Amino acid sequence: MIRAGARGAVAVFRDQYAELMRSAFLIDLQYRASIAIWLIWGITEPIISLGIWWTIAAAGAVGGYSREAFAQYFFGVALVNQATLSWDAWNIDRWIREGEMNYRLTRPIAPIHEAIADNIAYKGPTATIILTAWIVASVFWPAVRIPFEPGRWALAIVAIVLAAAIRFLNGYATGLLAFWTTRATALVELQFGISLFLSGRIAPLSLLPPRVAHVAGYLWFPYVLSFPVQVLTGTVTTTAQYVRGFAGQLIWLAIWLMLYLLVWTRGRRHYGAVGG
Amino acid sequence: MPAAILATELSKTYDVKVRDPGINGALAALARPHYRQVRAVDSVTFAIERGDAVAFLGPNGAGKTTTLKMLTGLLFPSSGRAEVAGCDPWTGGNAFRQRIAFVLGNKQQLLWDLPPEETFRLNRAIYGVSAADYTARRAELVELLVLGHLVDKPARQLSLGERMKCELAAALLHQPEVLFLDEPTLGLDLEAQQTIRTFLGEYRRRHDATILLTSHYMADVTALASRVLIINRGRLLYDGELSELVARIAPIKRIELVLSEPVARARLEDYGRVAHFAPPSATIEVPRELATAASARLLADLSVADLSIQDPPIEEVIRIAFGEGAQDAEAEEEALVRADVRRAPP
Repeated sequence: MIRAGARGAVAVFRDQYAELMRSAFLIDLQYRASIAIWLIWGITEPIISLGIWWTIAAAGAVGGYSREAFAQYFFGVALVNQATLSWDAWNIDRWIREGEMNYRLTRPIAPIHEAIADNIAYKGPTATIILTAWIVASVFWPAVRIPFEPGRWALAIVAIVLAAAIRFLNGYATGLLAFWTTRATALVELQFGISLFLSGRIAPLSLLPPRVAHVAGYLWFPYVLSFPVQVLTGTVTTTAQYVRGFAGQLIWLAIWLMLYLLVWTRGRRHYGAVGG
Repeated sequence: MPAAILATELSKTYDVKVRDPGINGALAALARPHYRQVRAVDSVTFAIERGDAVAFLGPNGAGKTTTLKMLTGLLFPSSGRAEVAGCDPWTGGNAFRQRIAFVLGNKQQLLWDLPPEETFRLNRAIYGVSAADYTARRAELVELLVLGHLVDKPARQLSLGERMKCELAAALLHQPEVLFLDEPTLGLDLEAQQTIRTFLGEYRRRHDATILLTSHYMADVTALASRVLIINRGRLLYDGELSELVARIAPIKRIELVLSEPVARARLEDYGRVAHFAPPSATIEVPRELATAASARLLADLSVADLSIQDPPIEEVIRIAFGEGAQDAEAEEEALVRADVRRAPP
């Protein structure tokens, strides 16, 4: 029978996550060729950016970034981006359009947990592959070596986990707009387009026009990529910078968590009213 | 004992966007959308006792699936109340979800790329089934559904019938009290249909489970349910015994004959309405009370190789019930009222 009590509930929840992650990982293994291609694509983009900035920085540092700093930055972008990818909107869109949401809503677990487990099962192994590639590259190419500072690396891990959580909730909540509209994935793509510039994906934020960088600071984009990459590569140095960065992450995490809860409860009610 | 499924004045109204055909219609709808209210389910009331199996019949779009979706908590009713397994489907939360299973014949929850065994494992965890219960229930389901050789093959390699059997096993591992089945045998071959019918009957007996199913296959209904609910255009038109429905709406018997000597069709018409004539076999429809006498006369008068008396097929009954060819709802309803099958809900 169903195990009772708070400890029992925790055990059931842990068990649910373990099995959800296990099946997500087994499914990923079935699609290993596709995953390899996505990984190559994910690395290609920062490498192209690096190639461009490497050439530009031939004469000297640009916006405070030397050639080596650019190399470390874009290796960081490849790793952090892999660990914070968000594709859930497309899944939700399919669940709702194809009626696969129905059985998910009759199970005693909210669908978001399946998505979280899926994210962990995918990002853990694939980010490890990129990290390994970075370590191997650093053996042959001193430019991409980052100093060994365990404390900062630990903070970088925290920043990456927070970034992944913000981007996940951002994508998931936007995806849930599929309860009302068939254009939810288009909204996710629009945010992706904006994030190319404002998250620091194609260039470090310090190279953006100051006004644009200023506006970006008020949005969540820098906190999901630029900030964790800078912590990792050691360009965040002062305590004030750390505090501002982590505070920004926590604020945006809270905002997207609230937006998720709002869209989920309202969307569930709307779905209950009109069906799927 | 409270009813396992209780629906009281359950209604569901949708706003449907109305637009004229063509590009102009689409553009006009964009500028000024018009909505029309459609009552998909209209004040439906019924009760099903624990352990009963009831079939929900009606043409496409009658409101069967909408009712099931309300009873499983997927849809909120526009008005009315429901209670399933002692819970309110819309506020019952996970405690409610633990007590039911909803199997849709045209949708699957099996993990497509993995063997069904993996879906079983996942559902064990999701429903918090203990290891001992899981082992026992899995063994029982594998035996009853003859799944032994299937559970290790990726779901995508299974036939439709094999998948449906695994789908049922996955949906029943948490041993739900109430099963909602929407077209569980849709598109399956006869053998698979039969296996699933036998299984559902056996499962219900063993676990005192309540079943509410919709199906287009009358064999599902006759094999599993003695009681039927007939719904059309959202309204419950009949709630009662299947045999009573047949007797009231189509008070005839069919005499199926195989003749050993040629007989003219006109001659058979002396005995009743000739529904089918393909020598040497023929089917004659006669009023129910005259069936025995007509058969005796046929045997005495003609050279008969074989003779049997049958109830009209349920498809025929339903066709009559819904007044096939009737253009409007009133006419369809009249057909039922005339046949005096409309009964007050329990």
